[in-house]
Amino acid sequence: MNWTLAIPEIVLSCCGMAILLYGVLSRGNAFFMSSMLSVGALLLTGVLVLSTDAGSGFFGLFITDAFSAYIKLTILVAAALSIVMALGYAEHANMQRFEFPVLILLCSVGMLVMASASSLMTLYMGIELMSLSIYVLAAFARDDLRSSEAGLKYFVLGALASGLLLYGISLVYGFAGSMSFDALGAALADPKKVSAGLVTGIVFIVAGLAFKISAVPFHMWTPDVYEGAPTPVTAFMGTAPKVAAMALLVRSLAGPFSDLLGQWQQLIILVSIASMLLGSLAAIGQSNIKRLMAYSSIGHMGYALIGLAAGTPAGIRGVLIYLVTYVFMNSGTFACIIAMRRRGRAVEGIADLGGLSKTDPGLALALAIFMFSMAGIPPFSGFWGKYFIFSAAVAQGMWPIAVIGVLTSVIGAYYYVRIIKVMYFDNAEPAFDARPASLSFVAAASCIFTTFFFLFPAPLVAAADAAARALLG
Amino acid sequence: MIAALAFYLFAAILIGSAVMVVTARNPVHSVLFLILGFFNAAALFLLAGAEFLAMILVIVYVGAVAVLFLFVVMMLDINFAQMREGFQRYAPVGATVGAMLLLELGIVLGGWKFAPDAANFRFAPRIAELENTAHLGQLLYTDYILLFQLSGLVLLVAMIGAIVLTLRDRGPSRRQIIARQIARKASETMVMVDAPIGTGVGAADYLHPIPEAAEKPDTHEHAHAGHGGH
Amino acid sequence: MFYAIAVFAPLLGSLIAGLLGRSIGDRAAQAVTILCMVLASICGVASFIDLVYNGVPAGVISLGTWVEAGSFHVSWALRYDTLSAVMVAMVTCVATLIHIYSVGYMSHDKSNPRFFSYLSLFSFAMLMLVTADNLLQLFFGWEGVGLMSYLLIGFWYHKPSACAAAMKAFIVNRVGDLGFAVGIALVFFVFGTITFGEIFEAIGAHQNDAYQVFGTSFRAYEVIGILLFIGAMGKSAQLGLHVWLPDAMEGPTPVSALIHAATMVTAGVFLMARMSPLLDYAPGALGFIAVVGGSTALFAATIGCVQNDIKRVIAYSTCSQLGYMFIAAGVGAYQASIFHLLTHAFFKALLFLAAGSVIHAMSDEQDIRKMGGIWKKIPITYTVFWIGSLALAGVYPFAGYFSKDAILEAAYAAHSASGTYGFICGLLAAFLTAFYSWRLIILTFHGAPRADHHTMEHVHESPWVMTGPLILLAIGAITTGIGFHEEILGEHWHAFWGESIRIASTNHVLHDMEELAPWVGLAPSVVGLAGIALAYLLYMGMPTVPAQLAQSFGVIYRLLLNKWYFDEIYAALLIRPITALARLLWQVGDATIIDGIPNGLASLTSSSSGQVVKVQTGSIAHYAFAMLIGVVVLVGVFLIFR
Repeated sequence: MNWTLAIPEIVLSCCGMAILLYGVLSRGNAFFMSSMLSVGALLLTGVLVLSTDAGSGFFGLFITDAFSAYIKLTILVAAALSIVMALGYAEHANMQRFEFPVLILLCSVGMLVMASASSLMTLYMGIELMSLSIYVLAAFARDDLRSSEAGLKYFVLGALASGLLLYGISLVYGFAGSMSFDALGAALADPKKVSAGLVTGIVFIVAGLAFKISAVPFHMWTPDVYEGAPTPVTAFMGTAPKVAAMALLVRSLAGPFSDLLGQWQQLIILVSIASMLLGSLAAIGQSNIKRLMAYSSIGHMGYALIGLAAGTPAGIRGVLIYLVTYVFMNSGTFACIIAMRRRGRAVEGIADLGGLSKTDPGLALALAIFMFSMAGIPPFSGFWGKYFIFSAAVAQGMWPIAVIGVLTSVIGAYYYVRIIKVMYFDNAEPAFDARPASLSFVAAASCIFTTFFFLFPAPLVAAADAAARALLG
Repeated sequence: MIAALAFYLFAAILIGSAVMVVTARNPVHSVLFLILGFFNAAALFLLAGAEFLAMILVIVYVGAVAVLFLFVVMMLDINFAQMREGFQRYAPVGATVGAMLLLELGIVLGGWKFAPDAANFRFAPRIAELENTAHLGQLLYTDYILLFQLSGLVLLVAMIGAIVLTLRDRGPSRRQIIARQIARKASETMVMVDAPIGTGVGAADYLHPIPEAAEKPDTHEHAHAGHGGH
Repeated sequence: MFYAIAVFAPLLGSLIAGLLGRSIGDRAAQAVTILCMVLASICGVASFIDLVYNGVPAGVISLGTWVEAGSFHVSWALRYDTLSAVMVAMVTCVATLIHIYSVGYMSHDKSNPRFFSYLSLFSFAMLMLVTADNLLQLFFGWEGVGLMSYLLIGFWYHKPSACAAAMKAFIVNRVGDLGFAVGIALVFFVFGTITFGEIFEAIGAHQNDAYQVFGTSFRAYEVIGILLFIGAMGKSAQLGLHVWLPDAMEGPTPVSALIHAATMVTAGVFLMARMSPLLDYAPGALGFIAVVGGSTALFAATIGCVQNDIKRVIAYSTCSQLGYMFIAAGVGAYQASIFHLLTHAFFKALLFLAAGSVIHAMSDEQDIRKMGGIWKKIPITYTVFWIGSLALAGVYPFAGYFSKDAILEAAYAAHSASGTYGFICGLLAAFLTAFYSWRLIILTFHGAPRADHHTMEHVHESPWVMTGPLILLAIGAITTGIGFHEEILGEHWHAFWGESIRIASTNHVLHDMEELAPWVGLAPSVVGLAGIALAYLLYMGMPTVPAQLAQSFGVIYRLLLNKWYFDEIYAALLIRPITALARLLWQVGDATIIDGIPNGLASLTSSSSGQVVKVQTGSIAHYAFAMLIGVVVLVGVFLIFR
């Protein structure tokens, strides 16, 4: 059975429950303490992930390899950054509750399971654990109508996506006769066994997962939920779950279904192009920075999908590098967005950033760096993420999609740079409130990674390479 | 033969009641059709030899979920006529999309044939001497322990979520604190009064409780009054 | 450890002065950068002594991985061998002295922290260049010094001439850098690596690689050698790409001393010495190097004879001396070229700083026609100027004597056409060098004062922060030659250089040098003294003759005064056509076509943005509908196009 492979997940869930107990039993507000404990638990889990051997456990339901370790570490870092960020969020009194970090921990357990899934059933359970936690988190500010609306919307549409996913799984099971990735891979190696039903099942599975990474046309929830949910939750939703869902997409398509590359490749390309186009076009008209980030994340997932569509180890490596750079850019940007508070009220308009370079040059510089990075301007990490993706696509002869990617990132650069223009050249708005140390920490850490990635890219590239090779051999 | 007949019967009723769930005008009827559907699905399970699933379906879905639905539908004042307005408007588009999906799935399923070795693919071949329920139990706690525990976590999250989103601390509601009750001395709660003969207890202020937080519940109720109904 | 401190201390100083300069003030910024430089020079000299005299083994100090892409590995690493250590010791020492000197020279400037920060950052980039363990890191340092050179030439950015000079330097260097970059790429293609150690190990294996272009076969080593030399030509201002160096004198004088005399411009020579194992197998490239070097030496010397700006004269002299170094490299005597680099660093920095001291004394006057008669008023400057000039002219026992002699002997001993050409050019240039040096001394310090009364009253010796470094450099200009001559070039050169300069077994120039006819060794001294004598005769004895000569040989005079019309030729052949083409592309190509397309596209984009957003109604039913349609379309696409 080899249950020791799941020690990180087991420890993390136990920590989550222990912190829950602590929060219930302690007097006074246990938010800060439980947040700190949760960060500690995530770090501990990270160490455990690093010390876990590669192997397959739980009768083939669970697998650990370089790929899962890479994804898990990314998820843990993203979750820890979100918890730290939430410490500095004071918009809704209701947010300062110990259940918040606990839910993020349990959500992380779900995502870790997703990263290690080696059966369609494990995949589904991981997704459900993750999603349910996020539904609750999105509605966490329950006295805020927008937050409740966001939670409900996400829940209903998420249920629909789960339905699609389950339907796809049942089709695949019905036509291929197995849910285990190993058995599926072995069965599909024989082209005679590939039927239309099977691939239709894959289409449904892709649709269910595409919902989670908010790829077009399953993206509709994203702007509304991003805008409505409390900002730390939005920051969390924008990073770790995207990584986990993308990892699942990669693991299932490049794993058991890798022999059907020719079948799903065109779907991924289609979704990718649509996401890139919509992400860059729709963001232009936005005036709310959280909505803008929603469209931006749609676009970013489109770029990441290019690497998957390439279907080579280089492409997967590109996706993995892209995800890490994306996590840091996004976390940093959201730390800046949470810091946008004026006289105790959060402001979210892009116009509110006017003249930020004069009132708070540090924040303006950090945000400018993130925007440049998102736009893919060298030498920031965002450029390298795109670089690895596009070069993998070109190496496969996928010129058109690479060209479209470059064109849409030019369009995208427009709205990213517009924010910089507003900060540096527009008339100064009143200064923001003093920002909490936790936000400065997250912004600074992300900033350092984003700016200096190009000096020492080798460790990350090597790790991503190992992960990609673990998947594709 | 009888099994096949029964299958078609139950399946037909299942589909029929599913259609009725969507189309019935009265939401209570919808829920009732839903319950009918559940029963038929349970019957299909029985036919397939999965008696445990059948019972679970009846107990959980009919016994708990559907009844809960019924309560919700009856207690909430929802204007269904208004909700159905959109139905007419979107029906053509919805029907087109639905028809296309059905067509596509039809094409897909049209090519379905059973693989000769399908039986070998089964995850958990049946052991003859064990009955269905015991079998399931054995599998759940061994082969599928991971998924079983994960389901537990999902339920935990659901519980936390329900509490976080709905439980409101109603301020100083009266809770029993046993330690305080036991530690209490008579002098703190009782006042010995020498009542003069001939006067009632109402005449002097004898029977008022020792004031502690008598004011607060009142204002609290007030503060929450605005939330209901909107 | 010392070695790493020597490299990174200047960076620290620069960062502190640059980032905190405004808050800590001028004095503190100066103090911090100078302290860091002193620390760096102590460590630099210590690691040099450790390596050469105390027997510490050479090696590579690894700092971390930089690029890891497929088979392309590059790490941050410091190479610790004699060649690098000599350069580190020299660069840190000279840079320290120039930092100290700048305290006095820049005392009236408003942006002191910026200046010192740039200066230290330059030192860091230079140190990165000389300690690089691979070509990419060397290129990093190479571009770093180029950038700092640009910033420092244009330090007084309010002067249009300074900005123009800065841009010129940068753009001309780009031409060279292109060659260098292509060279690096070719090295990678041939060797599969750009780390020096690995390249040198594989030298033997790729000897006969060749490229076929237009039916002609080119040996890979020759092509690489010439491409790398083109890079060196840009940085070291060799004939053709030399035009930026005289203009670079627009920068503050300490900058000219540090960057455009002692360190940066010698980077090309360093590159040749570094790649010596490869160049030794590329005789064609070597011949080319020697010819270009010889031509530059002579050509720049001729111009130096007629220039009137004190710094430009020294600048052309630098150009010419760099030519010498390339002659040496071109005949395979890399040791001699580095030796000359070393002595030149001291005496040329000395000359520049002394010139700075003169300019300082003359209230920022740079034209030697408006000087004269000041030698008694600034005795220290005068003395050190003499020492510098004696070293430059190659008079025994000053430093230049040994190194220049060695170069000319090596050129003669090479017994090749290019070597002989280099020898003749070098000999002529030695004569001209001595001549223009003493012309400069006499016009600047002697004769009747030609400046106005007001200026003459203000002539004063510079403060000790300026004269101190001058004296120390003068000591260097006297002793480096006699002190290191035997070790660097003698019978036991291998003990000094270790593995840092590896030459082919066929290369025995150093050995042949010992067995030449005596006149070869004497010739440079003789022509040098003759040049001095002629200068005395013309400018001291018969001050009217030079003007008459200029009149009667008007064509030649104007040719020299206008620097052989190089700038004009470039302007006519390159700059004007390119500007015209650029204007065409700008107005027709860019303003009309290219701007038109994006402007049209932009409005299209923003209107389509509006359309896209309209779908976002906020209704869950619509969203769910969209998802279902998406699924239907995806399944449809799959079923149809499968």
